[in-house]
Amino acid sequence: MILAGGKGERLYPLTRDRAKPSVPFGGNYRIIDFTLSNCANSQLRHIVILTQYKSFSLDRHIRLGWNFFSHQMGEFVHIVPAQQRVSDEWYKGTADAIYQNIYTLEQERPELTLILSGDHVYRMDYRHLIDFHLKKGADLTIGAIPMPKETSTQFGVIVVDASYRIVGFQEKPREPETMPDNPDLVLASMGIYVFNTQTLVRRIVDDAKRPDSDHDFGKNVIPSMIERDTVFAYPFIDEETREAGYWRDVGTIEAYWQAHMDLLTTRRGFSFFSPQWPFYTYEPPSPPMKVIAVGSGDEYISDSMISGGTIIAGSRIKKSVIGRNVSVEDGCDISGCIIMDDVTIGRDATLNRVIVDKDVIIPAGMKIGVSPDEDRKNFDVFPPGIVVVPKKMRFS
Amino acid sequence: MPKILIADDDENISLLYKEELEEEGYEVEIAKNGRECLEKIKSFDPELIVMDIRMPEMDGIEALGRVIAGQKNVPIVLNTAYSSYKDDFRSWGADAYVVKSSDMSELKAVISQLISGKKPKRGKP
Repeated sequence: MILAGGKGERLYPLTRDRAKPSVPFGGNYRIIDFTLSNCANSQLRHIVILTQYKSFSLDRHIRLGWNFFSHQMGEFVHIVPAQQRVSDEWYKGTADAIYQNIYTLEQERPELTLILSGDHVYRMDYRHLIDFHLKKGADLTIGAIPMPKETSTQFGVIVVDASYRIVGFQEKPREPETMPDNPDLVLASMGIYVFNTQTLVRRIVDDAKRPDSDHDFGKNVIPSMIERDTVFAYPFIDEETREAGYWRDVGTIEAYWQAHMDLLTTRRGFSFFSPQWPFYTYEPPSPPMKVIAVGSGDEYISDSMISGGTIIAGSRIKKSVIGRNVSVEDGCDISGCIIMDDVTIGRDATLNRVIVDKDVIIPAGMKIGVSPDEDRKNFDVFPPGIVVVPKKMRFS
Repeated sequence: MPKILIADDDENISLLYKEELEEEGYEVEIAKNGRECLEKIKSFDPELIVMDIRMPEMDGIEALGRVIAGQKNVPIVLNTAYSSYKDDFRSWGADAYVVKSSDMSELKAVISQLISGKKPKRGKP
């Protein structure tokens, strides 16, 4: 079950017209494609996506891009909007979202239920998590990302014993409990859970009855399970490097921008280029990217990713991710930018650390990201000086 | 006098329960279906609900879910002629599950346990 109902307020204005899982990412994708592709590649193809706010764009993306599962083989991706089956309210929290969809669980009656978030960027084989869960004989196993000990004041730390059974939590501790086999790392929850379904149902029903609960897995349900159930943490380690896996909750504009910059580095980054682990998405028909005279004089493209249908005349482009059907006219200087589909950038424009949402026309000669004071007059500016140009913005 | 709300579309059963439970010293109110049950919770404010499952307009499964989600912290006994719902995840929010029988002793025992604050044992489905 993929939770895709969050508002994503801290990603505004990218979430002005869409739910967070539906925010475009990496030129070709939407954020939810990573979780869905992880499921598909892990051979988990009984998928329910729970949506509520601003779900139109997400719904359309799933219908267009994720219609290749075989119903005849029993595979499915179902989109379930908040149905108000048992409540006249919208989801009060992550656990309430599952409680309100007990009907869906009852229809399928799986032995195990994997609860995922639709707004994380990572590559993970959930079969390792599930194997771990079964081997430990756990009621619940939480995916946990190893983080440097020094960062522990920013999140909740999971405290485990030597067998990785969870014995407690520390909220933003100064002196955190470290991993059993590494004194420099601590474990943070990735917000992904594999439950024995029967335990899941019992615990969310209990939680639904509690008036003082926020009905959140991380805050309420799981802490109450630590003593009565067997709860384990699965450390998310990259199979190849044996280091902490790459995982990002792109919850803020800065994190969203940084995750794109990570795509462009070769070390410690995140890559789409793995034939064994394809990321699926909706691919509209688009011609190949066309480059007109870049590489002569001081025009060049470096450390960038550029999607199909894009035309680039003579310009300088570095450290940028450019989507489909973008037109970059002569003499532009684009650096540290994320440009989404169907954007036109007029000649001699300068864009530095700018996120341009879909369907924007940047006028010729415009400079964004050069003078912070000018930027603040016209746009939302986020630390460290990232400017966001919202979807369909027009300049007179 | 503890108050009990009975939700059942079978009038004969409701009246029988009402009579028997009043004899035990409870104050009893009747609702004809799940929807009426939700309304009467507000006006009658019961300490316990005995809920049939198959009812017109709104069944006992949906009413149970709505009572829980509405966080009316009132114990609910599902009381149905069918044992098959016991396995249904949606019935697991109930505090007890009693299959209907002409002998009311089990139902009465469960009610008295729940009202006195003891949790009756609910076998694993």
